[in-house]
Amino acid sequence: MAFLDISAVSKSFGSVSILRDVDLSIEQGEFVVFVGPSGCGKSTLLRMISGLEEISAGTISIEGEVMNEVEPADRGAAMVFQSYALYPHMTTFQNVSFGLRMAHKARDFIAARVNEAATILQLEKLLERKPGQLSGGQKQRVAIGRAIVREPRVFLFDEPLSNLDAELRVQMRAELTELHKRLGTTMIYVTHDQIEAMTLADKMVVMAGGLIQQAGPPLTLYDDPDNQFVAGFVGSPKMNFLPAQLASADAGSVRLTSLGQSAEISLPIGGVGGGARAVTLGVRPEHLTIGADGELDGRVTLVEELGAESFVHLTVSDGTAVIVRARRDAARTGSTVRLRIDPSRALLFERDGLRVRGSAGRQ
Amino acid sequence: MSTMRKLRRFTVWTALKWVFAIAIALVAVFPIWWMLNVVFAQAGEPVSLNPRLWPTSFSAGIDKISTIFAQTGYLRAYGVSILYALLTIAGVLLVGSLAAFEFSLFEFPGRKILFGVVLLALMVPTAVTIIPTYVLVSRLGWLNTMEGLVVPGLASAFGLFMLVQFMRAIPKDMIEAARLDGAGHFQIYWHVVLPLCRNALVTLAILTFIQTWGNYMWPLIVGTKEELYTVGQVVGLFNSPLSHHTVDTVMTANLLAAVPPLIFFLIFQRQIVQGIAMSGSKG
Repeated sequence: MAFLDISAVSKSFGSVSILRDVDLSIEQGEFVVFVGPSGCGKSTLLRMISGLEEISAGTISIEGEVMNEVEPADRGAAMVFQSYALYPHMTTFQNVSFGLRMAHKARDFIAARVNEAATILQLEKLLERKPGQLSGGQKQRVAIGRAIVREPRVFLFDEPLSNLDAELRVQMRAELTELHKRLGTTMIYVTHDQIEAMTLADKMVVMAGGLIQQAGPPLTLYDDPDNQFVAGFVGSPKMNFLPAQLASADAGSVRLTSLGQSAEISLPIGGVGGGARAVTLGVRPEHLTIGADGELDGRVTLVEELGAESFVHLTVSDGTAVIVRARRDAARTGSTVRLRIDPSRALLFERDGLRVRGSAGRQ
Repeated sequence: MSTMRKLRRFTVWTALKWVFAIAIALVAVFPIWWMLNVVFAQAGEPVSLNPRLWPTSFSAGIDKISTIFAQTGYLRAYGVSILYALLTIAGVLLVGSLAAFEFSLFEFPGRKILFGVVLLALMVPTAVTIIPTYVLVSRLGWLNTMEGLVVPGLASAFGLFMLVQFMRAIPKDMIEAARLDGAGHFQIYWHVVLPLCRNALVTLAILTFIQTWGNYMWPLIVGTKEELYTVGQVVGLFNSPLSHHTVDTVMTANLLAAVPPLIFFLIFQRQIVQGIAMSGSKG
């Protein structure tokens, strides 16, 4: 039995269905990130775990105990909100200690807990300040402090970094990882930013349309996505998708034609059945090479020079836009180049988005 | 050259504004000044053929004031008025904030309809409800009692509306954070929502004070016995056509009635201005 079990959970507001039959297991101490486009239901799922949102169907249990009817405060979950939700009329100390004061803990106990949290989060000097006198990053720390002092079984973060500037976000990300290591508590984190998800997660849960598309370690999702949505969502720049025709398949490979109108390529995916049909080829920008030879012709429309590398935007002959991660000065805008696909890293999807793995698995 | 002209135009405009402001202030201040002038002078002097615009006898004024305090129930009326105002303020704040808390931050069946009724109550003039209210108070046996004076004024639709508008601005996240922190329904109200509404509550308290102190009609109707006379009613007795008081005695009574709100205005000037701005033109 897992630490936190989400079993056949659904949520609907009136006739609008937000989550459908969600199943997920979270282990003790895991850092789990729910990621997906806005409206995918990730925040709703988090709020259902916290108890702020009712569960329409299914069960959520923590350590074997079903939580559906348990009051939010009694679930042992502490939440950090996107807006921080600090009480503006209270000092940092009062904000952080609010939960303990509501639980009528002894004054010495409260002071000790708050000081401990303040040390972890470097808030010692800010304890007498009110939220209005704190910067965004400091407010975020206070909000985390308020969660820490309750010593929860699970931390819930609802897009906690999206109000911070880019530099601070990177810094806070590192601090969160550090905090997770230090506390070892289960953390569930919601974001729409897949980079945040990749860097933080032990287990990344990609959601879309009220369904879990795939859950697993970030690099597994990156290398081995179950469907075209996950493949496109994880990674930046996005995976390139090229329409193609599946011409023939044998025990060790499939043959694709009509790639970028006329090109052909063989992929080492064995045991694909189902006959000839239209499919989609997925290739990450780093698995395309610009060179003297290659399967595809492309016209360079834009080159983004990032210093160490460049993103080359091209249009291939059937009009599909493609991005290549290349070395610096690899191409000039307006020129025509040849593109080489690394067949061992290319992925194949049905037109409905499902991954074509083939019975022999991926080679 | 151009800066000079700009400066001069600016100066003329500023001077005009000052003149305008002073003119308005004079119109507002003159009655109070005239009252002081009449009170602190020998009887009849300011209204003689040769009127004076400034007080001439401090001791005459003190004499008149002490006569009024000695010969009428003015001090008790002060007590009644202050108690009436304080109880009403406390009640309006408590009832209004509790109701606004539910209306603004929680969903419950019938919320919209009930709030619609509140809004309707805002639109009904007091004159329409005063007789039914009197009948109700009379049936409760509350005529000539402090309850009768205070209780009907506690359900302030205006106060509720104002607090609801204010509380709606409180982020839902904050309420949810408090719930997760283990705060109960009442604790959220007490520890989170009330402190956040401090400004609105101060404004409502001030507006309620102004309204209660100046309320003449309801105390006149419900409190017919002398023991329950408010300052307004006592002044009314002085002003009545059959009273045998001279102009300066009547002015003294009026001045005494005006002093508490004047002091109140001086202390809370800034909050009053903010409050009237916050609550629209209603005051």
